[in-house]
Amino acid sequence: MATLLAFDTAAAQCAAALLTDGRIVATRRTEMSRGQAEALMPLLQEVLAEAGAGWSDLDAIGVGVGPGNFTGIRIAVSAARGLALSLGIPAIGVSGFEALADGTDADLVSLPAPRGMVYVQAVADGQTIGDPAQLAPDAVGALTACHVLGTDSVRLAAAIGAARSTERDLSGIATGIAHVAAARLSDPGFDRTLRPAPLYLRPADAAPPREAPPVMLG
Amino acid sequence: MDRPLTVLGIESSCDDTAAAVVRDGDAPQILSNVVSSQTDLHAAFGGVVPEIAARAHAEKLDLCVEQALAEAGLTLAGIDAIAVTAGPGLIGGVLSGVMCAKGIAAGTGLPLVGVNHLAGHALTPRLTDRLAFPYLMLLVSGGHCQFLIVHAPDRFTRLGGTIDDAPGEAFDKTAKLLGLPQPGGPAVEAAARAGDAARFAFPRPLLDRPGCDMSFSGLKTALLRERDKLIAAQGGLFEVDRADLCAGFQRAVADVLEEKTRRALALYLAQTPKTPTIAVAGGVAANGAIRSALQRLASEHGVGFTAPPLALCTDNAAMIAWAGIERLRLGPADDGMTLAARPRWPLDNAAPAMLGSGKRGAKA
Repeated sequence: MATLLAFDTAAAQCAAALLTDGRIVATRRTEMSRGQAEALMPLLQEVLAEAGAGWSDLDAIGVGVGPGNFTGIRIAVSAARGLALSLGIPAIGVSGFEALADGTDADLVSLPAPRGMVYVQAVADGQTIGDPAQLAPDAVGALTACHVLGTDSVRLAAAIGAARSTERDLSGIATGIAHVAAARLSDPGFDRTLRPAPLYLRPADAAPPREAPPVMLG
Repeated sequence: MDRPLTVLGIESSCDDTAAAVVRDGDAPQILSNVVSSQTDLHAAFGGVVPEIAARAHAEKLDLCVEQALAEAGLTLAGIDAIAVTAGPGLIGGVLSGVMCAKGIAAGTGLPLVGVNHLAGHALTPRLTDRLAFPYLMLLVSGGHCQFLIVHAPDRFTRLGGTIDDAPGEAFDKTAKLLGLPQPGGPAVEAAARAGDAARFAFPRPLLDRPGCDMSFSGLKTALLRERDKLIAAQGGLFEVDRADLCAGFQRAVADVLEEKTRRALALYLAQTPKTPTIAVAGGVAANGAIRSALQRLASEHGVGFTAPPLALCTDNAAMIAWAGIERLRLGPADDGMTLAARPRWPLDNAAPAMLGSGKRGAKA
């Protein structure tokens, strides 16, 4: 059976969970809005130490790829890719939607987005469906009744006439990542060569130059 | 010499993702030097976009490291330490590099050395030419422009530097204003070849002031003014106008760098170095007009001149690996898992902060 270390820095926290033989054996979480790059690796070492494990015991890494804070996502994804390279094990990217939906019967998962918005993605049996979207919780037309889970889910459920809602923050995200990554790892069709990549959901903030180049004569 | 050290270097502080393996010994050896450029990603924006750069680094770093190891014919088992650029630079890219390096160091148990990007450039002549300390370094690139006396791998005196734009930035902006492709340095240099440098009277900023500080942003404004005068008069630019503008601009930059180097050289020679040498590094050192002005100056003073090959002048990870080796040769070093990425990190903390460096302190 597999030992898998999962971690996430997409929100204002460093969160980690160690899963062995399908069971979470250690977790750590520190809330912080800055300093994740310095805090993450020591936190992972603590999680391993608590379980009496070392880096070489790991069979895979599970890493939260977002959506969330761009810099935070890159901190975790870059560390995961470096660990995967040095340990010769796969790093499995898990989105926040997949992690939160883990172990629930949610139909729609919502995550915090900038300026009071939420990111939502539909899920069925723990699998995400279609593309995620960004929306304002109050400004949604009626959708079919469903179970909404995640950020601002009460408001979101009310706005779309959903049957049920569960407010769920990101404090348990590492556990969800661990479960989803472990399930993917045990799938016979799992592609070990895939690498985790950030899920940004917003393009880079950049505008092409406003001024046109000069007209060339002659 | 002790047992040779083999170090993996990682660099991601601007728009090049790079990894390299360098081994010291009787002569330093670059076993591999992989640079993955992002020039195409930024081309449409007329400059490096920090968020675009950070995104590319995060998904390229481990691939570059794998390629560097493969080209060196090594696995991580053959590496003695990891050296990574920990600043100064665009913080998103630096963070990705530092975190990837931490992951590699954690998984292998190898020591992790955080390297100052500027030290990487400044120590390159020791990798390429085994230059003896102390030497005078002009670091002149897209992001930096400063004079340093390099006394030791960890001891630098900054004599002066730009108080606003770096020359490479000014070349890029000039190219943009004149409709030439990026990167601007080679494009402006090529256009300048057919031009008359005397047609436009461009300023030589700060030459009337003592010291080694420089300014290049006013030059760009002067170029814009001359360009707009021509466009107003003729409705556009002829090729000859563009060539003359490029030649005049390039001559002004070369004149400023030559004169300020003359002053830096006097300060350096006052310290009576045993084998006096001027070294240049940074992408702008590739400019032929600037390089020959500096060479002329060196030979006038009977001083050695060295410029690393272009691939080691521009951003690369071999220089980071080498700076790591120099640091390890001073004594055991391991910055460990709490190594911080620093957007600002001056090489010489004793020198007064340069003007225009902002309230958070000197950038570099």
